[in-house]
Amino acid sequence: MAWLNEEEKARWQRYEHDGARRRFVLCRAALRAILCSQLGCENERLEFGASDHGKPFAVVNGRRHPISFNVSHSGKHGLVAFAPKGRLGVDVEERVARRDLDVLVTSVLSLGEQAELALKRGCDKVHLFFSLWTIKEALIKALGKGFSLDVSGFEVPLAMRRGVVTSTFRFPEMPSVRWRLENLGNERFAAAIAHEQF
Amino acid sequence: MSSTEDRIRQLVEENLEVDGQPIAQPINLDSNLSDAGVSSMDVVAFGKLVNEEFNANLSVEDCAKLPTLRALIDHLDA
Repeated sequence: MAWLNEEEKARWQRYEHDGARRRFVLCRAALRAILCSQLGCENERLEFGASDHGKPFAVVNGRRHPISFNVSHSGKHGLVAFAPKGRLGVDVEERVARRDLDVLVTSVLSLGEQAELALKRGCDKVHLFFSLWTIKEALIKALGKGFSLDVSGFEVPLAMRRGVVTSTFRFPEMPSVRWRLENLGNERFAAAIAHEQF
Repeated sequence: MSSTEDRIRQLVEENLEVDGQPIAQPINLDSNLSDAGVSSMDVVAFGKLVNEEFNANLSVEDCAKLPTLRALIDHLDA
């Protein structure tokens, strides 16, 4: 907690659930430690700003720094990623059975992805859904425009739907921008990273 | 008939969890679901439930952007 500034402490207090509070403070402290190490600055010199859609960026000595970073947490898992350049997004989700899986499937997956998922049963279906979700959320977070983008309007590359760990991706609306995707998940959690390539 | 607020409270109580536990009681209508610890996946699923309950047409973006449950109630009552 000592590493957080007053604004972050206020945000910490707004969390109404102990687990959510703990995840926030641990991930924010880890992010500060990583960024201070990478940028060679003291913790007191590091602040955070946010874009119109809420994507945070680093501010050092009052000036925006170009380093990319992104954070996600779920249950007992946290994920922090950073890169010197290129937009970056990460997502981690604990793999848990959900009674509303079918509702989510029709909300966020394309028809092609839904067809792929329909071939799976039981745990395999849950496993694939969470993988697809984290890849899509990592892309959305990397883009930094929130859910203003139709999540069901783009597809995770077919190879990744079938188990390949890395791939490249282009949004249909912006084919000139290439993203590197990596599925970081294991049996307990799904996780993914999306990084803009130049 | 129950008010929109009552129906939203019931939907939250019956469907939203954080770490497998019911959302904090009493439900704070002025808090952000994210501040309550609800994941984006749960927010999207909750939006679909609201659509079914109120015959509404909230998009994934609408669900993610509504700042508080009270804002959602106001939106549904408008």
